[in-house]
Amino acid sequence: MLLADFGTSYCKILDTEQDREPRIIATRDLDAAFIADLATGHNAARRSRRSINELTALARGGERLIGERDFLLLDCGSRDIKYVRYQGGRVTDMGWNAECGASMGFTIELLASYYQIDYNTLPVPETGFSITCGVLGMSHIFDAVVSGSSESEAVAKFVRGIALNAYRFAGSPAKLHLSGGLCDNPLFVGSFPCELIPLGRFVLLEGLRASMEQER
Amino acid sequence: MTLRKKKKIGIVGVPPLAVLREIISPETEIIDLDEPQVRASLDLTAPHLPRVYCAILRTVVLNVLHLELDAIYIDVGPGKCDCALHVATILRDMLDIPVTATRNQDTESFGTPLCRTRMRLTDKLLAITAGVRSISPHPPLPPCRPTAGFWGVPPRDFSLLELFPDTTHVYGWTRCMENKTPADLKLEAHVNPAVPTVFFAQSFCAKTALARHLAARHPQALYLDCDVSAGSSVRAKIEAFLELSGVRNARS
Repeated sequence: MLLADFGTSYCKILDTEQDREPRIIATRDLDAAFIADLATGHNAARRSRRSINELTALARGGERLIGERDFLLLDCGSRDIKYVRYQGGRVTDMGWNAECGASMGFTIELLASYYQIDYNTLPVPETGFSITCGVLGMSHIFDAVVSGSSESEAVAKFVRGIALNAYRFAGSPAKLHLSGGLCDNPLFVGSFPCELIPLGRFVLLEGLRASMEQER
Repeated sequence: MTLRKKKKIGIVGVPPLAVLREIISPETEIIDLDEPQVRASLDLTAPHLPRVYCAILRTVVLNVLHLELDAIYIDVGPGKCDCALHVATILRDMLDIPVTATRNQDTESFGTPLCRTRMRLTDKLLAITAGVRSISPHPPLPPCRPTAGFWGVPPRDFSLLELFPDTTHVYGWTRCMENKTPADLKLEAHVNPAVPTVFFAQSFCAKTALARHLAARHPQALYLDCDVSAGSSVRAKIEAFLELSGVRNARS
């Protein structure tokens, strides 16, 4: 069965009969004729035979990967952030911010490319910008650079501000599980003021796998 | 023979029964201004109301800009909201027709058969909102066992109601509407803790505070606010919440 998480920037694809590991393909490079059997994400309804919504996939993936009755799982994508909270094995809260949390992941990647920055080499700054979204936050970078900060220092403060915003959106928990490509960004991961457990970018695929197995 | 033109009376909220008895007649047409009555952009209300304001009250102003009304009765007391109180002032200054502010504190219970029966949630809320223009209780209906709950006001965008099962019970101000006691805060705060419930409020409405508060105390709740229309994230939250709460076959 062909499972797909159609992200804004990257698609995560798993053929449950052939692949050992999921494949990651830039969304713009995905074959226009590609159709999954079961999918989630922005284009899932159009590019799959059956789709489930992203919050459901996130929650099901979290249930499988975390294996605890109480947890908070936050997914930071290219253009939105969403979370699910479980207490006593039941979902008690969830949120999906596609507006004010917009373009966080996308902007972080864009800035690395524009300023030629390697996030693996940037230390976590002591303070971050107070920002609510990627697009609005960029002006802080320009202001900081004009005021004499280095580009890398300004971008690091931006990333820390973005992480803090996501943390607050999730309800400022003491412990947080993180999903999404930003798990691979040490600056972003290190900027959360709480215990953080990165789960990687295949949590939603795992949720699809759980849904598939439930239906069998 | 010439047909006498009916007098068009707009109502906002749930006016007191005494007022309804006075204005409902064969010579009048009662129009619920809380509901979209015209196809036009809400931005047209910007000269009169801030853009960041309750979508229901922006709809009221949009309606009065397009309907040639003869009078308006707007409920502004504890059965509606302070925003309506200020909109009443604005309407008086905008229009050359009588704008009467009422404070519905009726306590006579009409019952809530629609809120508790098995029916498409959209149809339930359509029937309840239509009941605002009536002075009679809805005929009895058999209650069903609830599998989900919808707490709140009738949303500006009814499409979000399509996601709920037919066995959804209705709570909050909508239940107070059916009961004809819109200021009954005890009834408004009544919920069933055994039923997964979506606590809905219009964005920028004072009831967001009560919705969040009640959701936080409910063992299986989703707090949700929505402005003019239900976007994909709002719909996904409802869908996921119901599915993850074990409410299967949402439309059965």
